[in-house]
Amino acid sequence: MKLNTIGIGGFFRVSSALVIVGLLLEIVSLLWFSPLSFVLFAFVAASLIGLGILVYLASLVFAAVPASENRE
Amino acid sequence: MIGPTGVVVALVVVTIVAAAVFFVRPSITGGITGKILAFVGLCILPGLCIVMGMSFHMQRSEQTKFCISCHSMEAYGKSLYVDDAKHIPAQHFQNHRVPPEMACYSCHTDYTIFGPLKDKLAGVKRIYLQYVSSPPNPITIAGGFKNAQCLHCHLGARAFEENPVHVSIMDSLTSNQMSCLSSGCHDTAHDVANLSHEKFWKPGT
Repeated sequence: MKLNTIGIGGFFRVSSALVIVGLLLEIVSLLWFSPLSFVLFAFVAASLIGLGILVYLASLVFAAVPASENRE
Repeated sequence: MIGPTGVVVALVVVTIVAAAVFFVRPSITGGITGKILAFVGLCILPGLCIVMGMSFHMQRSEQTKFCISCHSMEAYGKSLYVDDAKHIPAQHFQNHRVPPEMACYSCHTDYTIFGPLKDKLAGVKRIYLQYVSSPPNPITIAGGFKNAQCLHCHLGARAFEENPVHVSIMDSLTSNQMSCLSSGCHDTAHDVANLSHEKFWKPGT
């Protein structure tokens, strides 16, 4: 399946899901006082949020409708 | 009054709500306003959450109670209460020569996550040893304790610089050729192996 066939809505859903899960884990890490809370934030939460941002940015490249198609 | 935790949690909650809108109704990004909101909600705000979360965790990692929350660091925390002026960390902690709530960080500013990449990677290894394997005994600092940790406070201080012993070896101290701790001058630091023989200071007594 080519990336540009997924559609921008699909990209946004994946991106927002990754961001939401990452942010929920960030809240847990903020409220949990343990050395593991830092590990949870740095290696899991921040990675998921970062991946969500990357998927959003990828949507701008791979799922954007060309301007010429908009005019038709 | 909302503390720093409250501020970060509030930002994270707002970002979750924004991201949830795009999850439920991705079609709202059809217009230019929706595109701008998507950029803010799925790029700017999450990025800000990472930055503020990292800043929060870094500041929390500087706290003494955070350091000694690791089981293997408990003895080091206890060593701060040894009732003996020859014990350098205890003397600094008890006399507030370092902020007591940030006592560990004050003398270990380049330790694991606070240091450059090599130290950060060493920190990851320590996490592995703590939770998966077992920590080394005794715990040592890779590359030894650097004089810079002492000198970032003591260098420029009158009592330190006018001391004739320090004056005669100042170059060796600043170049780290002679260690403040292991050259026989100030050599009692975190003597955790002998804590059972020590008398302890109880604050407020």
